[in-house]
Amino acid sequence: MRYVIIGAGVAGLSAVEAIRSVDTAGEIVMISDDPFGYYSRPGLAYYLTGELPDKALFPRTKEHYQNLNFNFLKARVTRILRSDHAVLVDGKSKLSYDKLLIAVGARAMPLEVSGASLDGVVKLDHLTDARHIMSLARRGKTAVVVGGGITALELTEGLLARGMKVHYLLRGDRYWSNVLDKHESHVVEDRLKEEGVILHHKAELKEITGKRGRVSQVTLQDGSIIKCEMVAYAVGISPCLELIHESHLAKDRGILVNEQLQTTDPDIYAAGDVAQVYDPLTGKSVLDSLWNPAREQGRVAGWNMAGRRAAYLKSAPFNVTRLAGLTTTIIGVVGRGKDDDLIGIARGDSETWRELPEAIIAQSGFDVNHMRLMVGEKTLVGAIVMGDQTLSWPLQKMIAGRADISSIRDRIMQPDAPLADLIAQFWMTWRTEVAL
Amino acid sequence: MALLNIFKRDSSKHTVLATGHVISESSRCVQCGVCSYNCPIGIDVRAHVWRDEAVKHSECLTCGECVARCPRGVLRFAQTDLFVRSKG
Ligand SMILES: Cc1cc2nc3c(=O)[nH]c(=O)nc-3n(C[C@H](O)[C@H](O)[C@H](O)COP(=O)(O)OP(=O)(O)OC[C@H]3O[C@@H](n4cnc5c(N)ncnc54)[C@H](O)[C@@H]3O)c2cc1C
Ligand code: SF4
Ligand code: SF4
Repeated sequence: MRYVIIGAGVAGLSAVEAIRSVDTAGEIVMISDDPFGYYSRPGLAYYLTGELPDKALFPRTKEHYQNLNFNFLKARVTRILRSDHAVLVDGKSKLSYDKLLIAVGARAMPLEVSGASLDGVVKLDHLTDARHIMSLARRGKTAVVVGGGITALELTEGLLARGMKVHYLLRGDRYWSNVLDKHESHVVEDRLKEEGVILHHKAELKEITGKRGRVSQVTLQDGSIIKCEMVAYAVGISPCLELIHESHLAKDRGILVNEQLQTTDPDIYAAGDVAQVYDPLTGKSVLDSLWNPAREQGRVAGWNMAGRRAAYLKSAPFNVTRLAGLTTTIIGVVGRGKDDDLIGIARGDSETWRELPEAIIAQSGFDVNHMRLMVGEKTLVGAIVMGDQTLSWPLQKMIAGRADISSIRDRIMQPDAPLADLIAQFWMTWRTEVAL
Repeated sequence: MALLNIFKRDSSKHTVLATGHVISESSRCVQCGVCSYNCPIGIDVRAHVWRDEAVKHSECLTCGECVARCPRGVLRFAQTDLFVRSKG
């Protein structure tokens, strides 16, 4: 039995562990084109701010890998040859598989503007990108950030930490408008301003110009000019699908999979950012770019590949992140519509967050300690917790477990309701009932 | 945010030195390594979190450095935290 795993991200690694937990003898080959193999991609943000050296991003030692007993091939898979049960490596050699996992992730969408290929136009996708940013960032110089979601802020914070002056261009009138509400966007924007970021609303990049091949300024649609040495962009991501072209595997925005993470070919599985997975919460197949779902999907795919039948049940997606230094947890469905600054989703993001059904909003707190609950008929369908995180874990469990909150719903809906206390009290009883 | 007192988290050294140990909510972790990097005695906290195990390490100083530095609120002390099932 030969298992082939394409991709050395968390989905791929987790699949290797799962296969080994079932099949100790089968041959496993992992193929990845990232020269650094497996590392924490969300951790890149902390590398940029200087909280971590890059060598700390690698969770595994050589011994770990040796114990898992698999072969690693640093190469690029260029095609899947289904009729041969093989993959084409670097366009030349064939490697056959019995079971194949596609865990190739997603990549940053390109910046479609004149001058985007100049030196000094950067993105934050891989460790190679982060190192490149570190090598270009200079204290006292100026950077322009465009795009949205978490990565745009991670770039902003990273460049600030490197001593750069940062202009952040927003196309609309507020940050991350289809996930955060007005108040939350403003909290984030106020903090950015306090940190010294220069925000430009309704600002559209027209072109980037350079001198001797390097960025020297940007021009906005309204004609204004910002002199700068760097342009950093995070305009969204898209699953890496080129590999399955001509393979006739079912796809939509990502590769479509069933609950076993199996594609329309029973010997081929897909997991992580590249997979589009059925979401019982909204009844649709959705994309996430989240570490933990990628890990869980890799595990379930690995078990199924090795013959242990298991189902992946997508639960309410959540992320804990820092937005302008403020710890923020986003759970379930919290917003709707489009965001002018992003095409599709970003890193650390989920399509589900914008699928707002009929729900009523209850809010409490102001400024840095803030909680927004999305209240459905009998359950909470989403929540945002900014600042104090005490209740974020209970809320995550209550939303994922669809706790029936009928007993406190009326009180939650009162104006100025003590939301935190109500949730805390409810949680204490509910968690004993469901034995958490 | 007004909260019930029992929900106040306390990760100070004094209250945990006796029997406390670090536990985690593994699904929040992104394996960034901030915890392991900051542990003064080099315990690989991140590896414990991946395996969903408590840091029951004889050399752990319960200094709270990993708990305080984790950017995603993954880590807590077992003894003082009412949210988390005891694990490990
Ligand atoms: C800067 C940044 C911040 C993030 N922040 C968060 C966050 O706050 N919270 C959160 O939950 N998630 C966050 N994420 C997202 C998270 O890292 C991803 O969801 C996760 O890494 C997905 O894992 P994966 O295994 O599906 O894919 P990836 O990690 O993308 O791995 C894919 C692998 O496939 C390889 N590959 C691709 N194509 C080929 C090919 N043709 N041949 C061979 N190899 C190939 C790549 O080199 C790579 O090794 C962030 C990501 C980034 C980059
Ligand atoms: S610091 Fe937190 S998120 Fe990072 S590896 Fe440690 S426990 Fe996980
Ligand atoms: S409490 Fe201190 S000694 Fe113990 S694991 Fe955390 S950082 Fe290390």
